Amino acid sequence: MTSVELAGISAGYGSTPVLVDLNLQVDSGEFVAVLGSSGSGKTTLLRVLAGFLKPTAGSVSFGNMMVSGPGEWVSPEHRHVGIVPQEGALFPHLDVLRNVGFGLDRSAASAQRVDEVLEMVGMAGFAAARPQELSGGQQQRVALARALAPRPEVLLLDEPFSALDAGMRSMLRAEVRELLTRIGTTTVLVTHDQEEALSIADRVAVMRDGSLVQVAAPAMLYQDPADLSVARFIGEAVELRAMWNGSDSVDTSLGPVAVRGGEAGASGPVIAVLRPEQLVVVDPRPVGDAPARGGTGTVRSVSYHGHDSLLQVRLATGEDIAVRVPGESEIAPGASVRVLVTGAANVYPA
Amino acid sequence: MTRLSGIRPPRPLIAAAVVSVCLALIPLAYLIVRVVSAGPEKILSSLLRARTWETTVTSLALMLVVVIGCLVIAIPAAALVTRSNLPGRRMWLTVLALPLAIPSYVAAYAWIAEFPAMTGFWAAALILIAVSYPYVLLPVAAALRTADPAIEEVARSLGRSPFAAFRSTTLPQALPAAAAGSLLVALYVLSDFGAVSLFRVDAFTRVIYASYRASFDRTSAAVLASILVLLALILVFAERKFRGKSLQYRTSSGTQRFASLVHLTRRTRILGLVFVTSIVIIAIGVPVVSLVLRLSEGSRRTLDVFELLGATINSAGAAAAGAVIAVALALPIGLLTARFRSAWSTGTESAAFAGHALPGVVIGLSLVFLTINTVPFLYQTLFTLAFAYAVLFLPKSIGATRTSIAAVPPVLEQTARTLGRNPFSAWTQTTLRIAWPGIAAGGLLVLLTAMKELPATLMLRPTGFDTLATELWSRTEIAAYGAGAPYALALIALAAIPAFALSMFISRERRQVGTDQDDRTDSSVLDTVGA
Amino acid sequence: MFRITRRAALAAAALLAASTMLTACSSGESGASDEPADGLVVYSGRSEELVGPLFAQFTAETGIPVEARYGDTAELAAQMIEEGDATPAQVYFAQDAGALGAVSADGLLAQLPEETVNQVPANYRSADGTWVGVSGRARVIAYDGEQLNADQVPTSIFDLTDPKWKSQVAIAPTNASFQSFVTALRVTDGDDVAREWLAGLVANDVQKFEKNGLILDAVNSGQVQLGLINHYYWYEKAAEVGADAMRAQISFTAPADPGSLVNVAGVGITTPAAESDNARTFVEWMLSPTAQQYFVDETNEYPVIESIAASDGLPPLSSLRGPDIELAELADLPGTLAMLEDVGLL
Repeated sequence: MTSVELAGISAGYGSTPVLVDLNLQVDSGEFVAVLGSSGSGKTTLLRVLAGFLKPTAGSVSFGNMMVSGPGEWVSPEHRHVGIVPQEGALFPHLDVLRNVGFGLDRSAASAQRVDEVLEMVGMAGFAAARPQELSGGQQQRVALARALAPRPEVLLLDEPFSALDAGMRSMLRAEVRELLTRIGTTTVLVTHDQEEALSIADRVAVMRDGSLVQVAAPAMLYQDPADLSVARFIGEAVELRAMWNGSDSVDTSLGPVAVRGGEAGASGPVIAVLRPEQLVVVDPRPVGDAPARGGTGTVRSVSYHGHDSLLQVRLATGEDIAVRVPGESEIAPGASVRVLVTGAANVYPA
Repeated sequence: MTRLSGIRPPRPLIAAAVVSVCLALIPLAYLIVRVVSAGPEKILSSLLRARTWETTVTSLALMLVVVIGCLVIAIPAAALVTRSNLPGRRMWLTVLALPLAIPSYVAAYAWIAEFPAMTGFWAAALILIAVSYPYVLLPVAAALRTADPAIEEVARSLGRSPFAAFRSTTLPQALPAAAAGSLLVALYVLSDFGAVSLFRVDAFTRVIYASYRASFDRTSAAVLASILVLLALILVFAERKFRGKSLQYRTSSGTQRFASLVHLTRRTRILGLVFVTSIVIIAIGVPVVSLVLRLSEGSRRTLDVFELLGATINSAGAAAAGAVIAVALALPIGLLTARFRSAWSTGTESAAFAGHALPGVVIGLSLVFLTINTVPFLYQTLFTLAFAYAVLFLPKSIGATRTSIAAVPPVLEQTARTLGRNPFSAWTQTTLRIAWPGIAAGGLLVLLTAMKELPATLMLRPTGFDTLATELWSRTEIAAYGAGAPYALALIALAAIPAFALSMFISRERRQVGTDQDDRTDSSVLDTVGA
Repeated sequence: MFRITRRAALAAAALLAASTMLTACSSGESGASDEPADGLVVYSGRSEELVGPLFAQFTAETGIPVEARYGDTAELAAQMIEEGDATPAQVYFAQDAGALGAVSADGLLAQLPEETVNQVPANYRSADGTWVGVSGRARVIAYDGEQLNADQVPTSIFDLTDPKWKSQVAIAPTNASFQSFVTALRVTDGDDVAREWLAGLVANDVQKFEKNGLILDAVNSGQVQLGLINHYYWYEKAAEVGADAMRAQISFTAPADPGSLVNVAGVGITTPAAESDNARTFVEWMLSPTAQQYFVDETNEYPVIESIAASDGLPPLSSLRGPDIELAELADLPGTLAMLEDVGLL
């Protein structure tokens, strides 16, 4: 296993730059997800790592070995990377056995290795099947086995689960994560699915316009997004307009809220960002003579998710916010509610 | 079709493609040499003759009629044999492909022998339609088989009748294939001399031949031939425009299904059978029966079976060698245009097609000119002959190669690289391995056309090397039709083998089809005929 | 699905491979004849069926193997002109004088030995001695024997513009022998008469064919009643299907009429082979009694050597138009082409 380092990478097609001065460090055995919307350059990043595209500047190192850099170039076949492309891309003319054995020599040890990885991905017994005969999930498993068979230093996953249905997706995702942790492969996954990135990776690198805007552990990313767009991109954001004077709390339409972080130096008009689960809905009538906290509003719609429900609430100030409440809550559309805040907010320039 | 845009093609590939392109451009280069040597006065006088333009108009009209005729016959026939429960439809598809094996001059001779009064524009149009509609039928049949049925089903659910749904959804998906086939037909009609001369149509090629035959005038013939090149370029451009405009409708990325067959009523089934039977009678029945009658008519010469066998072997061998060379030349060009599209590579392809409208005698002379002036020791050797076939029919092979390579996702090749293959073996073990049935289909098309070729064969064959086409020619030259008949029949039978193989690519049994890239591979194989 | 693809494709590949090997073998066999001891390369515009046996006879008598390359006379001429001095051809054997003249005009034909060419009457060889006629053919009118009796057939070409033959006359305006005949008409009767006659044909809806053979087929099937062809086409067709089966018959025009011009097939030696003994032997031999008799017996042509008599069915050469005109004088082909074009026949 090896670490991966991209330093100052710029790359593109023809005169169109796609990656601009990109830096990323992946530790040995770490699982990093590169998260970005389509067109952000995440696939290009993968192609640079695999050696399908020569960067115009910067260097790529696997451990101590530079595989791409000034005067250095290691071609894809000598990089020892494994790749699982979208939809698997199994060789349609080869059966499962030959697909998985493609990266191995013809020795007996190889045959054993093929059995071993097929077993690993839960596809033992499918060696004679042809790709056309497999379901989408099975094809992905075989593609993973094929990538793992030669014991790659680095594993690259290119939206490997996106073509699968929801149930299959989460199941396979968990299995793959568990398997990769067990064998300790350094892994880079690119995806546009933030839920996937958060649930599977040790760290998530958020990509935008060819650069990484934030690289952090999933919880960190969720709790402390580097900027407003990351906040919106990662999970559901409750945005409240406010004025901030730089102190440790900010006045919002839900009352004063502690400031945890956000974009440094933002004072004046800001947007305070909370997560829906930080909000609590209570009866709008004041309790005793304690001063009323939070803000009031009207429930516009309720979407039921089993374990919880998501309320769309229009506040008295006219702002629309989303609030997560327990699934058994009996609040109906039209109800008047009071919304309280727990925890702290991040503030960003408005 | 995925392209590796922005990535520079490897140098050896560029070098190989440049070599192929230069070879493909030989006929055009020759024309330029001749036209330039003609001088402005001669160019003008050739161009300003009223007859030049009258015959051009005739040729264009003939082309139009033949193309329309081919579409009118081939599209319903293709729909019948791929999308209806017509009895024996797989057999019909194969039989309907067989006219590819009949040279236009043989069909024309055979028809005139039976119906001497046949002459003129419409007779020529009929025969040209009969021998060239398979160029439209095969790709359209392929496209109809692989068209996404979901769209047609949506149209049905929106209230269209089965026929209206087919016409408004599936048929448009087959139009690019029909256009590609029509281009081949159009170029074929422009370059044809056999049928138009036998039916005495004042077509443009007759003027070119008259230039050689009557006045031994190479230069004005070249000037006239340049007009054909120009027309060909316009056609190629128009077809490309059309192809670019039409959308590819594949929407689902899941497992591909094939559309259910339309159930014919008793009446429509009979009509359908009458339709395909009439086509077969006109295109194959009459010529073959006529030739068999000539056989029994006898001759002062007895048939030398060994001579016939030798000519058959020679025909097959020379054409096969030509097909192999054509595939080899087409590979780098097809690869370049499929994977690294650029103005340069598209221009190359167009240029290769441009020569396709030239009558054989011009191509033959261009290769005489080239070999005698550069590699005289290869002049009139089997190699030059095979090479000439390759150059003559290269566009067919390039199209097939391009579409079948374009249909293989580059990700397969890249994955193979990460699994330790160098660029070349990654390419051979994935892209080439998957695309090669389509590439081979292009080779079959070259094979079959080369067997029927005559003018270049006469000029470039090794002295004493007789093929079925030359033997047939030498007998019909002196009106020995009876003696020629066995050779004509042998030629048809021989060319029927690759024609049959081609139709097998389309009519073969399909099992459950899986991954998306696999579907694309498959349809590309079928596209190749028209590509 | 792939298995079947693979099978079909494998079969195709096997076919390719097999045929390539077969070719290699068959060309290997013919490779032996590629390097004959002093073989003679003849570009023959006359068909193998017609002259192959003659060449075999030549080889048998002289021991010189002939490598004959058969093709269309005009296309071979175009090919030779394209080849220039590099032409592999040593002898050019053409169907008609026009093609020989064109190749000669390009400087591709060498001077023939005088004693050889002098055996042939001056009107059947070139003035500059670069080619010599070896067999003669007369222009005739082919007619449909079912629709017409022999005495109904015009005896002069000038009758062909009569409205009663409207759409019933076939000519081959791109064919060299027709053009030679028009040139002769211009020489003997003047350009005005020739032009008027051609225009009359056009006005009479003359039917245009590519070659003599096709005209004969059209007459033989009753598609047209009359056609202008060379006489031996009829004999060839008759030999093929039997004279009794011939619906078409031929008729020679009246002795003084330009319609019965005699043209020749001839040979010339190419410049690169100017000093070749084999080539000279060949030309000499073509005028030998053996060869001349072959033309009489096998192709029903006129011999060009006085000692050999034409076959019985043919009118004597002296009764035809030939003797009045020297073929070599029919050089103004461009003038004829311009005239044909003018009246709309080309």
